[in-house]
Amino acid sequence: MAEHSNAASHADHDHHDHKPHGWRRWVFATNHKDIGTMYLIFACTMFFIGGFMAMLIRLELFKPGMQFFDPQFFNSMTTMHALIMIFGAVMPAWTGLANWMIPMQVGAPDMALPRLNNFSFWILPFAFTLLIGTLFVPGGAPAGGWTMYPPLVLQNGASFPMLIFAVHMMGASSILGAINVVVTIMNMRAPGMTLLRMPLFTWTWLITAYLLIAVMPVLAGAVTMLLTDHFFGTTFFTAAGGGDPVMFQHIFWFFGHPEVYILILPAFGIVSEIIPTFSRKPLFGYEAMVYATASIAFLSFIVWAHHMFTVGMPLAAQLFFMLSTMLIAVPTGVKVFNWTATMWKGSLTFEPPMLFALAFLFLFSIGGFSGLMLGIVPADYQYQDTYFVVAHFHYVLVPGAIFAIMGGVYYWLPKWVGNMYDMTLAKWHFWLSTIFVNVLFFPQHFLGLAGMPRRIPDYAVQFTDWNMVSSIGGFGFGLSQLLFVYVIVKCVWSGKRVETGRVWEGAHGLEWELPTPAPYHSWTEAPSDSIIAKGAAH
Amino acid sequence: MDEQRRKAVRRSTLVFSLIALAFYLGFIVMAVVKGGR
Repeated sequence: MAEHSNAASHADHDHHDHKPHGWRRWVFATNHKDIGTMYLIFACTMFFIGGFMAMLIRLELFKPGMQFFDPQFFNSMTTMHALIMIFGAVMPAWTGLANWMIPMQVGAPDMALPRLNNFSFWILPFAFTLLIGTLFVPGGAPAGGWTMYPPLVLQNGASFPMLIFAVHMMGASSILGAINVVVTIMNMRAPGMTLLRMPLFTWTWLITAYLLIAVMPVLAGAVTMLLTDHFFGTTFFTAAGGGDPVMFQHIFWFFGHPEVYILILPAFGIVSEIIPTFSRKPLFGYEAMVYATASIAFLSFIVWAHHMFTVGMPLAAQLFFMLSTMLIAVPTGVKVFNWTATMWKGSLTFEPPMLFALAFLFLFSIGGFSGLMLGIVPADYQYQDTYFVVAHFHYVLVPGAIFAIMGGVYYWLPKWVGNMYDMTLAKWHFWLSTIFVNVLFFPQHFLGLAGMPRRIPDYAVQFTDWNMVSSIGGFGFGLSQLLFVYVIVKCVWSGKRVETGRVWEGAHGLEWELPTPAPYHSWTEAPSDSIIAKGAAH
Repeated sequence: MDEQRRKAVRRSTLVFSLIALAFYLGFIVMAVVKGGR
């Protein structure tokens, strides 16, 4: 009864929500749902731009020999693809989901800092216009890899200052977004929503936000020093002036490894929401999941040098970084065990969000295992800078992070728009994506083990067959994503109306206590303790 | 938002902004110190 009166009260509020209309609603947006929507649309746009660049890479690599592009442009494509996918697609997609879901999940009316929220979103289109604009300046776009290692990056032409400014802006956007998330979760939770009652998506985002606040400024510091080396005569990373290029690598990877967890921890959160829902069981080991996430975040600060074993470092350092890397398998194993245990004897159904979560479980684990292989120092000496590394991190990021984002969208989309999507088409999207992602990336393990180096536009003829297979997988995966957009657009425009607040039978959490579609202003009155207790899935 | 919560929001925003700033400047200072050795 309380739930219904609460829902009715919210529907009433929605009727009188006084939301702005026209372009002002978006440009001056302060509503967490509007800003979340803008983040998600932006991320989707960047996903297709970055994906188009990946298609060009796979097109060039379809056959040995130089086919379409000169090596400089090819290297620009690998660099830009990475920067756009990491900073433009995956991170904004997570921020979009955080904006939509965190206030709804913690019983808050909005994010704590709505104007800052607007600012952190609107930085991004300028940052990426600047970055993509480098394609049209003399000397072309940055081509030294997304890691921006000096001295190579200092040889960029006119694109260098544009790259540095764009990275600064992306960093500022991420830091502001992260501060907003932490401040919202720490201060805006409804009374009774204790930390250990929070849904796992909110928990993983809280930990991710701490990581962001700690490491994005480190990246900013590193690129600021690159800037002063290039324009102001400093020699932080220039050996000729007494500087040390390897120090850049240490600083970069102090940011870069936690960044990997910034990209994947919210995925753990989403999978922890989806699997209990479609298993119709509470999450197994909720607290262990929280502590495992915190452990992974802590360990991510002390493993950075495993990205640079071959640069030359003392044996003790190699051993330390190898063993600390191995340690990450323990909390990650806890998570995989708990997801499996949640499904054990559950009443499972396989709607699209569950399919994506299951694919995540299997395929992310493959990426995790190849990560363990790369973490072994003597093995890494063989794998360093081969396609095996490319296969590893794409397994982590595509069927890992991106599948979780898609699973999350399929999970919450009916709640957002009040319409159900076409299940059959969504399942087609899942199966095509899953088959093609494996056709695309699995052969790259073989290529890497056989010695094919990464970041090259041409290769020896013995690598031809698997490269052709990989390219076919790439084109198939890219085209399959058009179906994703079609499913969403069709759902928004003409999907079947969803009448119930709890869209999925087994769903738990405060967001499902709100009416569907979610009202413009979520919890204008804090939810009662009984609703919070009912929503807690553990 | 009540005044007490508003104050808490302001305080934690300031604290986390300062932490971010400390990481930014800290790593630059560390690089300067290392370069000076």
